[in-house]
Amino acid sequence: MSGRDVKVTPLTALLPGEKARIVALGHGKGRQRHLRTMGLMEGKIVEMVAMQPARGPLVINVDGTQIAIGLGMARRILIEKM
Amino acid sequence: MKRISMMGCPNVGKSVLFSRLTGVNVISSNYPGTTVDFTKGYTRIGGEKFELIDVPGTYSLEPISKAEEVARTMLQEADIIINVVDATHMERNLYLTLEILGMKKPTIIALNLWDEAKHIGIDIDVRQLEKLLGVPVVPTCAITGEGVKALTLKLRAAKQSEQIKPMTEEERWRKIGEIIRKVQVVHHRHHTIWEHIADITVKPATGIPIAMIVIFLIFLFIIQIGNLIIEYLMDPIFYNYYGPWIVEFVTAFYPEGLVHEILIGNSTLESLNFTQSFGLLTTGLYVPFDMVLPFVVTFYIMLSLLEDTGYLPRLAVLVDTGLHKLGLHGSAIVPTILGLGCNVPGALATRIMETEKQRFIAATLMAIAVPCMAQSAMIFGILGKYGMRWILMVYGTLALLYISLGLVLKRIIKGESPELLLEVPPYRKPDPVTLLKKTWTKAYGFLVEAVPFVLLGVFVMNLLYISGVIELLSGLFSPVLTTLLGLPKEAIVALIMGFLRKDIAVGMLLPLGMTPQQLTISCVILSTYFPCVATFVVLLKELGIRDMLKATGLMLIVSLTVGVLMRAILI
Repeated sequence: MSGRDVKVTPLTALLPGEKARIVALGHGKGRQRHLRTMGLMEGKIVEMVAMQPARGPLVINVDGTQIAIGLGMARRILIEKM
Repeated sequence: MKRISMMGCPNVGKSVLFSRLTGVNVISSNYPGTTVDFTKGYTRIGGEKFELIDVPGTYSLEPISKAEEVARTMLQEADIIINVVDATHMERNLYLTLEILGMKKPTIIALNLWDEAKHIGIDIDVRQLEKLLGVPVVPTCAITGEGVKALTLKLRAAKQSEQIKPMTEEERWRKIGEIIRKVQVVHHRHHTIWEHIADITVKPATGIPIAMIVIFLIFLFIIQIGNLIIEYLMDPIFYNYYGPWIVEFVTAFYPEGLVHEILIGNSTLESLNFTQSFGLLTTGLYVPFDMVLPFVVTFYIMLSLLEDTGYLPRLAVLVDTGLHKLGLHGSAIVPTILGLGCNVPGALATRIMETEKQRFIAATLMAIAVPCMAQSAMIFGILGKYGMRWILMVYGTLALLYISLGLVLKRIIKGESPELLLEVPPYRKPDPVTLLKKTWTKAYGFLVEAVPFVLLGVFVMNLLYISGVIELLSGLFSPVLTTLLGLPKEAIVALIMGFLRKDIAVGMLLPLGMTPQQLTISCVILSTYFPCVATFVVLLKELGIRDMLKATGLMLIVSLTVGVLMRAILI
């Protein structure tokens, strides 16, 4: 139970069914605000719902809302797995 | 008249609430939530008449795109604001609320999806929320109509907030955190059956087969139900009642001659000849009302179902990867599907694409390769009797064009193709009243737009025939039509008509006695060579003259090339 030993990874490292806490949003100020108003905020728990094949978008669940997000955008969002 | 603006984030049930509050008299220039255009209606509350505006859904008022700019302007022009808040996602909805309250307009909050929030275990202290926000809050459930009456009764209590001052972004998020802690309690809950369905329709392994079945069923429904309406309702009306009556009526006043010819063509009591007589009162009405309207109605019922259940965003996610190869992303499915109904809203909906490059590609591909429902109805009508394979050949060719042109345009058009970022709302039970109202608005819009153009087209065509201009033009274009494309030179009439209306243009191919091969080629050329005038005007406004010239050049080249290729293969 080493709580200190958390690994920060990009959102894309999450597999379907896994959950993680959002650590940082990564993008510029405007995009960050947009993500927050969609429900993606630091400290929130995300669950990976689906990954589309061939580098397609991810579908994640935050607070009961599903959000589809492109792979490149998702790569810049940092999480710690739970 | 005082103006009420309804504002809220996307997918909060704002449009349903709007249709609950307004009568049938709704003017919609486009689809709520998909473009910047808004819906306007009227409502009577306590004897006073109000103008009600359904402002496009935005997450915030910061002008990051045109939608927010429009929302901001509409907020400033309004006398009263109804801010629709999703009770199941209060935290992120409150950002817009705090921005609105900072603008110091009389505001009332509709806490919508109230029943759903209770159902999934969210408790909200409405009194406390009212106190913290400083404006009235009314729980509503737009789908069932619960709370809507209370909302109208409390409308006069709408006021400026004393508590909420204009603030910075950080302050706003901090304030939201404070409010949520004080008013909301979330109980533990289990996955509902709808959430399971939501998951399997978006996971690729299950979602893609389901999407194919859904699309197949939708087309089956549109064609089958459309045909039933024609066979059992429209055809009997035209052939048993309207036809004999109009022929007798016109013949009584004009037994023969020019006016007789223009009004009913060569229709007689024995042979009504609605499809080929080319009279204003025969073909001119038969085509829009009998051959096209039934499919337009069934199309919009299905489209509203797709929109209102929340399936459309899932489709966007599933096709995103494919559309990326064409320089677009998943949201481009919206203008494409709308374009299958009518290219005009399709062209307007290209605005949801973020960059100029994506808008150009989406608009050009739609104008070239997406036939509207009116045109499709006529293609089914004239090719259907030769067998399904000819219809499939037309649509197969168009689909191939959509893909190959997209692949090329992605490479040659400069600019960026950003990625998809889209909320996928939970499935909702569609409200039959909203659905019917939407369908009615669209069908009515079709008739108002289409019938005058069809009549004008038929009239002008009659004049061109009589004056001999058609003969002149047929001679002039016969090298292209006959030598290159293998069509009779008279087919020029359909191409001329195609500038005005595609449906009647396809209908004009009928009297030319063409083979199914020639009809197939003509249908593809009619779809691709140029948009109808209504679409052209909208595209010109959306793209600007330079890009529109580029698109037009592309259309002519593509259409001629494909026509010549098809001729080489088919004939």
